[in-house]
Amino acid sequence: MAFNVVSYSMDRPRSTVLLLVLITLGLGLQFPRIHIDTDPENMLESHQPDRETYRRAKKDFGIRDMLVVGIVDERGVFRPETLIRVKKVIDRILEIPGVITDDVISLTTTNNVTSAGGMLQIRRVMDSLPATQTEADAIQQAINANPLLEEKLSSRDGKGIAIYVPISQKDQAHRIGAAIESIAHTELQPQQKLYLAGLPIAEDTFGVEMFLQMALVAPLTGFAILALLWILFRKLTYILPAMGVALFSVVWSQGLLIGLGFTVHIMSSMIPVFLMPIAVLDAVHILSEFYDRYPRMGDKYATMKQTMEVLFRPMLYTSLTTAVGFASLVFAPIPPVQVFGVFIAFGIMAAWLLTITLIPAWTMLIREEQFAKSFGKLRENRGLLAAILPPFGRLVLQRRGTVMLCAGLLFGLGIYGVTLIKVNDNPVNWFAKNHRLRIADREMNRLFGGTYMAYLLVEGKRKGDIKRPEVMRYLWQLQQVATRDPAVGRTSSVADIVAQVGSVLHDSDPKRRQIPRDAAELSQYLMLFQMSGEPGDLANFVDYDYRLANIWVQMKRGDNREMTRVERVVGDYTRRHPLPSGVTVRWSGLTYINMVWQHLMVIGMRNSVLGGALVVFVLMIILFRSIVIGFVSMLPLSFAIVLSYGLVGLVGRDYDMPIAVCSSLAIGLAVDFAIHFLQRYRAQLSVNPDRVAANDYMFSEPGRAITRNALVVILGFLPLLISNLTPYKTVGLFFALLMTISVIVTLAMLPGIAWYMGHRQARSNNGQGPPSDKEPEGVER
Amino acid sequence: MKIRPRCGCRMLPVLALCLAPGMAAGGQSAKDIVRQSLQALYYPGKDMRVRVNMKLVNSAGKSRLREMTLLRKNIPPGGDQRFFVYFHTPADVKGMTFMVWKYLDKQDDRWIYIPAIHLVRRIAASDKRSSFIGSDFTYEDLSGRDPDDEDHRLMPEGVVSGRACHVVESHPHTKVDYVRRVSWIDKTWWLPLKEEYFDARGVKVRVFTADKVQRIGGHWTVTRRTMRNEQTGHHTEVVFTKVAYDVGFTLEVFTEQSLRRPPSQWTDSQ
Repeated sequence: MAFNVVSYSMDRPRSTVLLLVLITLGLGLQFPRIHIDTDPENMLESHQPDRETYRRAKKDFGIRDMLVVGIVDERGVFRPETLIRVKKVIDRILEIPGVITDDVISLTTTNNVTSAGGMLQIRRVMDSLPATQTEADAIQQAINANPLLEEKLSSRDGKGIAIYVPISQKDQAHRIGAAIESIAHTELQPQQKLYLAGLPIAEDTFGVEMFLQMALVAPLTGFAILALLWILFRKLTYILPAMGVALFSVVWSQGLLIGLGFTVHIMSSMIPVFLMPIAVLDAVHILSEFYDRYPRMGDKYATMKQTMEVLFRPMLYTSLTTAVGFASLVFAPIPPVQVFGVFIAFGIMAAWLLTITLIPAWTMLIREEQFAKSFGKLRENRGLLAAILPPFGRLVLQRRGTVMLCAGLLFGLGIYGVTLIKVNDNPVNWFAKNHRLRIADREMNRLFGGTYMAYLLVEGKRKGDIKRPEVMRYLWQLQQVATRDPAVGRTSSVADIVAQVGSVLHDSDPKRRQIPRDAAELSQYLMLFQMSGEPGDLANFVDYDYRLANIWVQMKRGDNREMTRVERVVGDYTRRHPLPSGVTVRWSGLTYINMVWQHLMVIGMRNSVLGGALVVFVLMIILFRSIVIGFVSMLPLSFAIVLSYGLVGLVGRDYDMPIAVCSSLAIGLAVDFAIHFLQRYRAQLSVNPDRVAANDYMFSEPGRAITRNALVVILGFLPLLISNLTPYKTVGLFFALLMTISVIVTLAMLPGIAWYMGHRQARSNNGQGPPSDKEPEGVER
Repeated sequence: MKIRPRCGCRMLPVLALCLAPGMAAGGQSAKDIVRQSLQALYYPGKDMRVRVNMKLVNSAGKSRLREMTLLRKNIPPGGDQRFFVYFHTPADVKGMTFMVWKYLDKQDDRWIYIPAIHLVRRIAASDKRSSFIGSDFTYEDLSGRDPDDEDHRLMPEGVVSGRACHVVESHPHTKVDYVRRVSWIDKTWWLPLKEEYFDARGVKVRVFTADKVQRIGGHWTVTRRTMRNEQTGHHTEVVFTKVAYDVGFTLEVFTEQSLRRPPSQWTDSQ
């Protein structure tokens, strides 16, 4: 049935190639509709409760997309000549289209309320340019004296000031950021550094970088594979269809993804890089097999037909298992990871279809004389692998006890390592350490109250609940509790404002910085604050009905671990000190959202790995018609996963999204080696029950094929290492590690296990295995 | 009558050609028109008492309501004025009072009274362009801007809600939050029916509309007005009720003592 496709392609090579090219062109036409998605919120499903809370909080508290601009001068910013420049920068930022000028927070646009001698002074923090150093110092002191402004407008040491620039459209961030940089370039001196931070900038930059990576890393992977194939087969004409399979399957899956309206996220941008090395694996098998057989048969049609008959089933199963491994990612409730898994799975099955059609068809189009001319070269070229593998095979068989013991010990160590794993991620760390955004992030968090935002949302039952003095006092206490955590830089809330008004009204008496006990007094403080400010001043902290309040928790570090700890500290407090009646508290904000999807991912990945492994196990039982062999075939991938993740735990590397995703990839690919090994070993035994001979045979051509395949995959992923984005690097390196372990385990452990099994099989099996058991190749060699 | 803002001014080129540059029909300059409009909007009567309903609406459509009594007294000669504000609602701020002594030639004096702690505080503010009690209106929107602080230029006449208007373009001399203002001033009432403020980028940042005009005590009075912040989507609606001119209250109303003990016969306070 399915094999008819192969026959058709061989009988009608031209129309087959034409049809495949047309499909590819059709899907390729979808590419211009590409839409890049870098919004970290999209790591959660649209209706995930925490995400909905965050969306509502942003609306309730008018939270806008904001660029944070830092100007840092190590000699100190608060000097008359420097402040002139700062003022110019602010003035010119207010002239940039797309900036919501009324909501810009800066020295010259934000009010400070101070008091002296019974008189309230309401004026801009920097009302006029200071003429003397004393006046400049006074501005700095005034900021440090106001908890609402300190570490927000300027750093405590006066070496940096910050400007908060809300923008009307998130997609304008890049343009506005560039405009600010060019302003700084003309207005600032060389020793005055400008730092740009804020989520919109990070997202935008990440999108640009992702595009670059896709345009750079994907072609490089292509070239690396081309080079590898050339080293293996030495003839461009023959490896072209393999490259065709790689390219076409990339176009198919990426084209379909874009065509169906999915956005390209950090994960899905890696689809081409993942797909290419995997896509050529079956082609490598076909080419190896074809060139082994051709000299004996001398007829391209017959050789290809026989090659396909032999390989059809293993190729289908290895493709299926790999696809299943990726498809298991749908168990992770993180949409970009799901999309990635599904479309790679699709791409792998597309590659399978392309392999069984394009390669036979293409081969039919090559003139017969060409094969005759070049085949001789191939046979001699066995090289290093042929020298190393056979002695290795004998060694692991003789010392099988030692191998098992070592394997057992390593496995134990791996399990121990896994228990040490620290789940942690921080999307800012997706940029390389020396990326200007990472530098800005470090500097801004060194100087100011923290760029990582989390919100503690306080919700009352009735209008005005927030104005109840006991609720306000509770808010105030929650702030103190959160601030005690080392990761928290500063917090702010409506309670701060009330306390500050209390202090200012009483001639800036710090002892009066507290929450009034009387409800009317408290309300009147709030009214006074509103009367002395602009309409939006309270909006970020409390809603118009005074039913909802928002405590801004600014963190200096955005790691999930830090957020988890802060959440626990606050949670402990609310358990020990019950909330005022009718009031509830819950977390939100991007730093919290990141933590949520991290946690979901850990559970999701566990389910995904277990689910994927189960399906692969079932497939293996069907393939081998034996539960025992099915179980054995799962060993290399189990070892690969346990040892690799154990290593992650042992070296203290954070378990983050890219690392997590690799586990599913390992399932699908690591089992391939075992399939090939066990399938061929069993076939060989059914021909010749001598287990030593079978083992020797396994470390000749089959061992080389397995090793070659491993090399293609491992080296195919290495171009990821040159990337600027750490997820790319991580995946490249970690995946190479997983594959290396899988192939070593396959080649070192399976001979010993197969020895014991062969013992059983010799007694029980009378050659009633699956049809491919009867493949003739074993006999001929 | 009710006036709904309609899109901009209609050009009347023929009429415009008949006019000498910068001169309106009655031979008035742009500055004269602005001056007359200031009188009509901010100075009618010797004094005024009004119940003000102020509604602050954010971009999400949520609103805060404030109700207060506003007393104004002109101090002739010149344009100095005194204002007294008594808050009725929200209930928890009832009794808060606020007073402004407005001077043409210097910064205002302002005082506020916090009844819960029986405290009067003087407020020194350096900026007439800052928000009036947290609304989208500025202090200047409440009391007027000196025509000499801006350059005025007459534009072709326009129509707002079917009413013929002088259109004046004004540019402030010193840098403020806007660099250009276009006012549509009713030709018979002399009240501005619409004002648009533009910043240095040419972005329209604020729009004032007179939504309802009534004749009260012989004075055409804007009894419903809106100031909309076009950037933030925030706006403030102000409705005047119980408008009374020439009520006859004395200057003693505008003292620190009455902040603490509001003159209840004028402020409806109990």
